[in-house]
Amino acid sequence: MLRRWYCHRFVSTARLYTSSLCAQRKCFSTSTHCRFHATAVDEAEVAPLRKQLKDAARASRHQQVSDTNGKDQLRRERLKDWELTVGIEIHAQLNTSSKLFSRASADWTDVPNAALWPFDMAVPGSQPLFQPPVLIPALRAAIALDCDIRPRSKFDRKHYFYHDQPAGYQITQYYEPFAVNGRVTLTQQDGLAPEEGTLHIGIKQVQLEQDTARTQQHDEETSLIDFNRSGHALVEIISLPQLHSPQAAAAYVRKVQSILYAVDAATTGMELGGLRADVNVSVRRFDGATGNHSYSGVTGLGQRTEIKNLSSFKSVEDAVCAERDRQIDILEAGGKIEGETRGWSLSNPGATRRLRGKEGEVDYRYMPDPDILPLHIDNDLVAHFRSTLPPVPDQLLDMLRLSYGLTADDAGALLNLDNGTRLLYYQDVVSRLTPSSNNNKTAFGVHVGNWILHELGALLTTTETEWHPDLIHAQQMSDLISLQLKGQLTGPSAKKLLRILFAGEKEPVSVIAERENLLFQSMNDQEYVELANRVIQDHPKEVEIVQKNSKQAQGKLKFLLGQMMRHGDRNRMEAQRAEKTLRSILMP
Amino acid sequence: MDRVPIRRVIFGTGYRGPDIKTGRIQPSSRIESMLSRPSWSVRSMLPHDEEDKQASVTKEQLHHLLKLSALPQPRSQEEEDGMLKTLESQIHFVKEVQKVNTTGVEPLVALRDETAESFREQTVTLDTLKPFLDQEEKVGNNGTIRRRKPTEMITHSGWDPFELGDGKETRKMGKYFFVKKGKDKDNAPPVLPP
Repeated sequence: MLRRWYCHRFVSTARLYTSSLCAQRKCFSTSTHCRFHATAVDEAEVAPLRKQLKDAARASRHQQVSDTNGKDQLRRERLKDWELTVGIEIHAQLNTSSKLFSRASADWTDVPNAALWPFDMAVPGSQPLFQPPVLIPALRAAIALDCDIRPRSKFDRKHYFYHDQPAGYQITQYYEPFAVNGRVTLTQQDGLAPEEGTLHIGIKQVQLEQDTARTQQHDEETSLIDFNRSGHALVEIISLPQLHSPQAAAAYVRKVQSILYAVDAATTGMELGGLRADVNVSVRRFDGATGNHSYSGVTGLGQRTEIKNLSSFKSVEDAVCAERDRQIDILEAGGKIEGETRGWSLSNPGATRRLRGKEGEVDYRYMPDPDILPLHIDNDLVAHFRSTLPPVPDQLLDMLRLSYGLTADDAGALLNLDNGTRLLYYQDVVSRLTPSSNNNKTAFGVHVGNWILHELGALLTTTETEWHPDLIHAQQMSDLISLQLKGQLTGPSAKKLLRILFAGEKEPVSVIAERENLLFQSMNDQEYVELANRVIQDHPKEVEIVQKNSKQAQGKLKFLLGQMMRHGDRNRMEAQRAEKTLRSILMP
Repeated sequence: MDRVPIRRVIFGTGYRGPDIKTGRIQPSSRIESMLSRPSWSVRSMLPHDEEDKQASVTKEQLHHLLKLSALPQPRSQEEEDGMLKTLESQIHFVKEVQKVNTTGVEPLVALRDETAESFREQTVTLDTLKPFLDQEEKVGNNGTIRRRKPTEMITHSGWDPFELGDGKETRKMGKYFFVKKGKDKDNAPPVLPP
């Protein structure tokens, strides 16, 4: 699929170098006479340049790969002795209308310090007031992560002083969180290397907590604080240390974000700061003495360090790689790893740097919050959310593969494009094609998938347009595809029609097809006979060979057929009928 | 008529009532012997001088604790010694309290209504959340749900976060609160958030 888009991209680059395409920007007509814009075109000129550019790109890629191959070889040798263990804590902003303990609006954050209640600023005398609607995204998230929901959970205080924490403590659920013992499954589809197989990453707990205020640096000694975000509901997802490669770590974070987005629990992603990941990394020798550190039942681990401030999936992978290499270097040189907090910055890639050592270690002095009642969740409520849970990406993938017959790649593309709206468009088109009596969608699924992903996708890429559902109305799309399936449009004319629709025509497809004379009008027998006779007249030598029925007869017959196809109207010829006519004349 | 004192007899204690002559109450000998010797004194929770002088808190730990609590470091050796001595006695006190056997006792967090009735009232049910679930809409036919976000801002009625006393303008920088980095390194809070 990607390769086809790649090709079309080169057609547009080729445009710069050749004058052989239609001068109009959006017109990709390469027919001998561009119907719309009168510039002659020779398709043969475009192909060699395209091939040239592709070959050049391929050569440079091979060069890069062979350069790093040497370094990779050494690194891979070393990694064979060491096992990497990673555990990740994800903080995600919940998609809810109010904050966790105050009725201030969590939606509007444009004007600084305008969506506040006194409790968000810890004004003396203000009290927390638990807002039940935060449980909607929280429970959906926990259920989608396959957790057990505790009917009773409690809130605790985590104490530390910082200017973005007005109360001097954060309200969280350290001792008794509301959800425990979840699971996330990772497969190759999610980005794992083939040798890792399928991974099941355990989730220790999911807990509700408060967000801090937002700080921005004004100058060297001043920071500006916006308390709009203070008190916003977050959910912290703590995984067990069961990830063993940087790719798996990045895949895990990506998977969790996609699950949260699918169930409408978190709608801002990592790039916008709505989801933050803190990564814990440790290494140990495969064959050496097992480490004496353990976490939540996973034993034998080495000393871990924590990396904070990771703001994208790629940085998760890079940071884990860099930290693993750093730890292996230290341990191989005979040193000891210190349990510390490190940071990762894009401006200084390739290495983590220490943020806080043992002496700066914070003791959070966790204590149950006496002002907040325990949280009691009804079992029926949990059952309701379980039964009405929106489908997670894995379920949608399965549905697309089984009910619609799409390949895994195509299904994945449909899910990821345009925030899921392309998928809905696709389903709309298929449902318009499928007669209501027949629920068999696989008949049309692949076909429509080709049109929407590949044909339409190619047009979008080459014109660099953003897709939206009103670009080509679903009815127009389904009409076009149905005409093509019925045989009233040949492949090329269907593509032409697509380009017309893409340019903005809103009339019904049948009207346009008639107007542009794209409909396939089959030639009648008389026309076939005339054409066959003409070709026979022009090539008497070949006719003789065919009529003698010698060894080359078949080949020459094909040649004559080819001549017929060339001289006839391509839009109207049917190869089989032409051949039948020819045979009947030459070999009665 | 002369007043005659009534002798009351309280069973079991041998109490004979107030003494006729002096009017003083004479408690029973059993009570007297029980009360003659104290069984416990709050002094037992204070450190005795003869105990081991091994410090439970080192200087470094003291400084660390002060940093955690965002309190200033001691300004002189006497102040530091005073703080350490106070801490010692406080730790001794706590150790004495910890000698009580509390196995199986759930720590008390707050005095609350913990009856089944109140738990039922506090439980978040489907009814509690129904008005908020009505604010969601279905998208497509796969079961996807999206919350409808409000188009207008819902403001809290008239609470100005800057209006917290005199000198409102000094607390603002445009629409923001602001904080300046302290120049005193010892007393400055940690530079980076935990």
